[in-house]
Amino acid sequence: MKNISHFSSLNFHLRIGWMFPQIMSTYGDRGNIIVLQRRCEWRGIEVETLRITEHTSDKEIASVDLLFGGGAQDREQEVAMEHLMSKKQPIKKLIENDVPALFVCGSPQLMGNYFEPTKGRKIEGLGIFDIYSKSPEPDEQRLIGNLVAEIIVENIKTKPYVIDPSPLLVGFENHGGRTYIQSNAKPLAKVIKGNGNNGKDGTEGVVYKNALGTYLHGPLLPKNPGLADWLIAKALEVKYKKKINLEPLDDTLEEKAKTAIARRLGVQV
Amino acid sequence: MLNKVLIALGKSISKTSQLLNRGNGSTWPGHVALTGNKNFIKQILAKSKTKVIIVAGTNGKTTTASLIRTGLEKNGFSVLQNDSGANLLNGIASTILLNVNAAGKLKQEYAILEVDEGTLPLILKQITPDYLVLLNLFRDQLDRYGELNTIVNKWLETVETLSERTTLVLNANDPQIAYLGLKRKNTKYFGLETIKGTKDHPQHAADSILCLRCNKRLTFSEVYFSHIGNWHCENCLLKRPAIDVSIFPESSLKGTYNKFNLLAATLVLRELKLTEGQIGKSLEEFKPAFGRQETINYKGKSVQIFLTKNPTSFNQSYVTIKDLRAKVLLVVLNDRVPDGHDVSWIWDVDLPELEKFKHILVAGDRVYDMALRFKYDNYQDVEAFEKLDEAIEAGIKYIDEEETLYILPTYSAMLETRKILTGKKIL
Repeated sequence: MKNISHFSSLNFHLRIGWMFPQIMSTYGDRGNIIVLQRRCEWRGIEVETLRITEHTSDKEIASVDLLFGGGAQDREQEVAMEHLMSKKQPIKKLIENDVPALFVCGSPQLMGNYFEPTKGRKIEGLGIFDIYSKSPEPDEQRLIGNLVAEIIVENIKTKPYVIDPSPLLVGFENHGGRTYIQSNAKPLAKVIKGNGNNGKDGTEGVVYKNALGTYLHGPLLPKNPGLADWLIAKALEVKYKKKINLEPLDDTLEEKAKTAIARRLGVQV
Repeated sequence: MLNKVLIALGKSISKTSQLLNRGNGSTWPGHVALTGNKNFIKQILAKSKTKVIIVAGTNGKTTTASLIRTGLEKNGFSVLQNDSGANLLNGIASTILLNVNAAGKLKQEYAILEVDEGTLPLILKQITPDYLVLLNLFRDQLDRYGELNTIVNKWLETVETLSERTTLVLNANDPQIAYLGLKRKNTKYFGLETIKGTKDHPQHAADSILCLRCNKRLTFSEVYFSHIGNWHCENCLLKRPAIDVSIFPESSLKGTYNKFNLLAATLVLRELKLTEGQIGKSLEEFKPAFGRQETINYKGKSVQIFLTKNPTSFNQSYVTIKDLRAKVLLVVLNDRVPDGHDVSWIWDVDLPELEKFKHILVAGDRVYDMALRFKYDNYQDVEAFEKLDEAIEAGIKYIDEEETLYILPTYSAMLETRKILTGKKIL
């Protein structure tokens, strides 16, 4: 992969913050970090990843340019929530300062107003997204399978962030919880095939400022490189306070992986 | 009387299905028997004198069961074993049905049954085994089994109700397996004794990192792979139990994971009163089960298959072929029912020193997902094939006569690969 010289000369540098990777990493969530790192490196953008733990200081968290959170298993979700609560202020501050963030799998639930780990138990979330999540009713199944959705947030679809704006979001969902969006947040995408936030209202994911949440778990970004580039471009824009045009990369394999799943679900690409 | 009718019916279904060449009909007769009588398995076993050994765990079931079988057969005992493709309730009922005699009894001295981890609680309601061997639990097919903790909880409940008569054979180095035996008398542990004794970290794909007793993070003084190691809890002082068997016989099986399969089999065979000499001699000629480190000669070249089902087995296969100085690698990633529909796990595997491979090829239903995994570890020249036979042909061309083409397939991909390499269908 070529290094683009005029880019390195600009000396861009990004710090990715990965929230509690030891417990919030259920199923291939690391794929997102790997993709963000490589897509920076391949463009000559210096990049490092800070693994946020319970010992990370508020000051270190404040130095993060792009935040990522993966999913925790049910047993670990409450431990994860304790850790998150201890870092509530610095994390909220990042989001309010327009730092882009991606929360996948079960982690958007922890970022909402509250969630129910089991029926009848309510746990307070971080309150970043104006959403709440409920555990399934006894007659409701876990929502599992490939999903294709259309991104409906204009600012993500338009240039200059995305070089080849593909409005399709493709991934795998596996969740028991049902999430409902309230007035101060918007859905990320409209479900074409699959279940989405709650299997009922046709929405998938959530957006607040530059923070994105989605039930699509694990490696979301390998098959959605446009979204990865949006996060990188936004992070640079917020940090360096100017519009950034990212150098295009060869995404032939990424597009093939994406269209293979979309076509299999009967979605024309 | 009912069972006799079901047995006759089941056997004729099996014959018909063989005649029609629709596989070996390995689960249909059991389905019919259990529909006719849900206590079929329990009743047949109660009438028979057969001792039952159940083997469960995410990885290593088939190899461990086959090792125990080999040890017993080479020492003159008769043994019944189910196919790895028949490890759910119907498959086990079929295995039993097809082996009973006219009197409705099993004639073998031992039955070794490998059981799917999700099915184990159901099976233990039907069967009280003489030995229950629990190997490990790793994240595997979350879309099918649910989260790993769900399985751990079900196993805990099941073991609590298990008869004292059953000897529990547990892996001391897997914290969540070892925990199952802590309150129980009739329990034996296998495992490796620690050499290093310094602080060590579980691999990225590790699962069992929280203490089952107090929910605090466990500490490892040595990690063999994934979360398998010498563990203890600094909070509640729970620690790896004392090990009963830590020495195993010489074997051609490669890889650390196979040490644990050998240890489990050795412990069971010792319990069955075989001597060290008898065990060693019987296992030294052990041939791997199909697709598990199996070597096949294809067009004058050597091809070795390492079944690879989840991050832990991928990591272990990868380390093992690196030790064998592999130069050409083909990974075949399918996402059918036996493989799991979710292929996210490929991002949990570690791929050190990719540059040492001359060629990396990928194929399978999710060929492009696998290609991306290599691309994003900076192996740009990965070669993607939509057709498996073309990938194998290309791989064969890349190796010299003294080299080996290493293939890492998921389960259904392994069956397809073998079909191409041997020209016949199995199962």
